[in-house]
Amino acid sequence: MIEVQHLTKRYGSHLAVDDLSFFVQQGVIYGLLGPNGAGKSTTMNILTGYISATSGTVTIDGHDVLEEPGEARACIGYLPEQPPLYPDMTVEEYLRFAAELKGVRRAERTSQVEKAMARTGLESVGRRLIRNLSKGYKQRVGLAGALMGSPKVIILDEPTVGLDPAQMIEIRALIRDLGRTHTVILSSHILSEVQAVCDQVLIIAHGRLVAMGTPNELAGRLEGHQTLTATAQGEAACVLAAAAGVEGLTDVTLTGEKDGEVSFTANAPAGSDLRGALSAALADAGCPVLALGTAAVSLEDVFLQLVEESAPEAAAKQAAPEPPAEAPEDSARPEPEDRSSEEENAE
Amino acid sequence: MIAIYKRDLKGFFTGMMGYVLLAFFLAVGGLYFTVMNLMSGYPDLSYTLYNNLFVLLVLVPLLTMRSFAEERRARTDQLLLTSPVPLWRIVLGKYLAVLSVFGMAVLVFALYPLIMSRGGAVSYRQSYAALLAFFLLGAACIAIGVFLSSLNENQIVAAVCSFFVLLLAYLMPSIQTLFTVGSALAMGVFLVLAALGAAYAGWHSRSWGLGLGVFTVCCAAILVLFWLRSAALTSAFSSLLGALCLFSPFEKFVGGLFSLSAVVYYLSVTALFLFFTCQTLEKRRWN
Repeated sequence: MIEVQHLTKRYGSHLAVDDLSFFVQQGVIYGLLGPNGAGKSTTMNILTGYISATSGTVTIDGHDVLEEPGEARACIGYLPEQPPLYPDMTVEEYLRFAAELKGVRRAERTSQVEKAMARTGLESVGRRLIRNLSKGYKQRVGLAGALMGSPKVIILDEPTVGLDPAQMIEIRALIRDLGRTHTVILSSHILSEVQAVCDQVLIIAHGRLVAMGTPNELAGRLEGHQTLTATAQGEAACVLAAAAGVEGLTDVTLTGEKDGEVSFTANAPAGSDLRGALSAALADAGCPVLALGTAAVSLEDVFLQLVEESAPEAAAKQAAPEPPAEAPEDSARPEPEDRSSEEENAE
Repeated sequence: MIAIYKRDLKGFFTGMMGYVLLAFFLAVGGLYFTVMNLMSGYPDLSYTLYNNLFVLLVLVPLLTMRSFAEERRARTDQLLLTSPVPLWRIVLGKYLAVLSVFGMAVLVFALYPLIMSRGGAVSYRQSYAALLAFFLLGAACIAIGVFLSSLNENQIVAAVCSFFVLLLAYLMPSIQTLFTVGSALAMGVFLVLAALGAAYAGWHSRSWGLGLGVFTVCCAAILVLFWLRSAALTSAFSSLLGALCLFSPFEKFVGGLFSLSAVVYYLSVTALFLFFTCQTLEKRRWN
């Protein structure tokens, strides 16, 4: 559906997107995950043709975004980070305008506008000025605008930013619903959102793709251990000794002791389940188990690990072609330190 | 294109902007019409329009300041520029919307000769030719205003820029008379222009060689011209300034002439600045 090859975007000396390549299949919800400034918005702006890449190609449904911009853009519905709304128009007027821009025929416009409004729950505000709508409704109007012309791909840049939790859940449900009929690409820096909504996750850090896969696949990638958390009744020393005696458990750490209840965490090797053994050991020691659970490896751990791993590499790569640019920074670095120490001395 | 045209035109009249500007324009135009044509009895509308030219200096910047600057500030340009509509049609749609508002006032002016005819013989041909030239002059000014709006994110800055550019064009005939002196000064100005052009070329191609090459060739050409025919330089300089006198071709219509060159001049200025607008927007994609 979308093919991105060796995409690079340079702003002066800053590399926003660095040799990004990926392939998007039809009918799948993709999540672009990355910290702020990772190049998510830049990538989306290039996909939609708002800005051009420094090098690399983007093909949408067989149309190159530079060579056949009209055809490529007709395949895409885009909701930028800040919804592009005209405050002086009513919701209906705006959607009609968006439909006309997308080249929807006059005869189909009304039905398309009505369908999009029904889908995004906007029927009750159709005649209101966009200026007077709440942030959540504005986001929905933007989303309905992106649906105009029934594009094959819908690109959403941080669709839930600035919404309250109830609105977030609604928008996420809406995105899942859209995923049944469209290919959806959304960006987010919220992990739980991507985990809840997306079928495929692309983790981007420092403008480069560091990992791609389903949320479960990515979690499985994280080598290492599983963490057990438990609470038992009894003396701390007795509980910890019993836990440490279980074969395979390591790093038994006390996390709290209150009213004779002892809480602790312990690490177990990945793929093993030591809950039964731990429970039995504690019971034998005369310490009844009050709570016991495992913390599954979350996408968050994968994310943080990958982002951290890629950081020094990317920094080195960015600095390499332009050593003079790095030099003044180095010489400038000690300065603030000196100043702060002077200030401390003065105080 | 039609969608953008309709939206922008409607945008003028959902707020006060369109009404206030039209009212101001018609009030000043009506005042001159009453004083000159009705009370003093000039049988020709062209004098009235000629006296009205200064209104364009204020009106056009206020009409055009929003067009692209506001889209960019509100990020709605993302909707337009990611839609399947080609760039030139976006620019044309927005331009025609502003032109239509101006055209409404011109249509009201078109009634004036009919009113005048009740008081005696009126030269319709002369009056309507002048009105056409007035409309084309306004169209050229609006194209300049739209271009300057596309350069700015802030509509106030866009309006101020347009005002000063139009003011400069308005005052250019007087500025031109200040610079009738010697060919040495003309040469100096052309050398500065050559340096600016070369710097621009060098900056954009990221090659100092090309910039220096352009500068050397231009300097050589100007110096040769200066030694061989210094008068040519002076007249070239004067005609260069003359080309910037946006308002003076209109004067020909005041005498009752129909000047085809003025019409062509205004149409080319319009086309040139709309082209520049497209280029500005296209360039922003590549930054």
